Amino acid sequence: MPQPKPDLHAILDLDRTVHEPARLAILTVLSAAESVEFLFLQRVTGLSKGNLSSHTQKLEAAGYLETLKAFKGRIPATSFRITEDGRAALRAYHQQLRALLPKEGKP
Amino acid sequence: MTTPDLDALAALTRDYAAFQARKSGLATALAGLTVLISFCVAVYPNLIGLDLLQRPALEGFLVLPFLWLALKTFLVRQLYRGIGIVEAAPDPAYQRRLAFWLLGLALLLLACLAAALYGFVSGFFTAAKPALHPLPPGHPLDHPWAFLIWVPMLYLAPVPWAIRGVEEARAYLVLVSQCLLWLIPLFLFSFGALPSPLPLPKAAYVLGPLAFLTLLGGILVWGALALIRGWKEHREYLAILRSLPRVQEG
Repeated sequence: MPQPKPDLHAILDLDRTVHEPARLAILTVLSAAESVEFLFLQRVTGLSKGNLSSHTQKLEAAGYLETLKAFKGRIPATSFRITEDGRAALRAYHQQLRALLPKEGKP
Repeated sequence: MTTPDLDALAALTRDYAAFQARKSGLATALAGLTVLISFCVAVYPNLIGLDLLQRPALEGFLVLPFLWLALKTFLVRQLYRGIGIVEAAPDPAYQRRLAFWLLGLALLLLACLAAALYGFVSGFFTAAKPALHPLPPGHPLDHPWAFLIWVPMLYLAPVPWAIRGVEEARAYLVLVSQCLLWLIPLFLFSFGALPSPLPLPKAAYVLGPLAFLTLLGGILVWGALALIRGWKEHREYLAILRSLPRVQEG
């Protein structure tokens, strides 16, 4: 029986903004809360400050998250919130990936 | 990163956010401890048959719920925000449960107030200055009986901004109930008209103390359970901290 060919288009259609592991982790964390402070995001993902800033900027440019600036006394505090587009992109990414992965018990 | 990893990451975020939205950890344990200690303090002189607890001490119990609220706010800020603020996603079902508990608290206080006022109107209580443990004139606690009208309002006032979750609402309700329970004997002995103008059925002399002791027993059990639950929650928080990855350098 011929093996079904992998759908290359489906793999290439994966949203690369979401597909990058650090950004996927960031979006996953943000999707589980209303808003998340920079410090928590850094601690939970284990990324350096520079790396985290760079990834959040890319996600913000894609419209997947919004940055919230505030002050705690005199100290600036940066928080992030996932947008509806970000939530939809994460959902779509999960669905695409599930469709691409082999089913349980099959190679 | 695999799907279980992502699920764990989302679960960890939700668990951490829960500590800032509703869980109190050690503050819950503190409420349990407060209940147990105040029970021992209040009951000790009565159990060994010496005397009723002095009125100022019993009235001092009235501030315990406020003291707990202040300590709880401090503890939660100090202990459970160490790695940044995470605002939990809104949960309407949970908010409805919280509203139910707060409504219960309001109804309890209003019922106590109504009962006390009915006692005065019916002549069961007298508004004369209490003869038991009289306080010197000008003493800060030498207020008229009508101060009790303000008690329910005082307990309800901080609720909208100080109570964040069901566990806290339950702890506050128990602390307030305990205060009210200790106020009942004080109130009866201080303002009860002698001889009583209303004939009480004999059963009231048995059922009244029985109900009082049952409620106290329930409060004690809750206090012990709150101690365990609060400590368990605190350990959950420590487990969250331990599960965090090392932050990259640079």
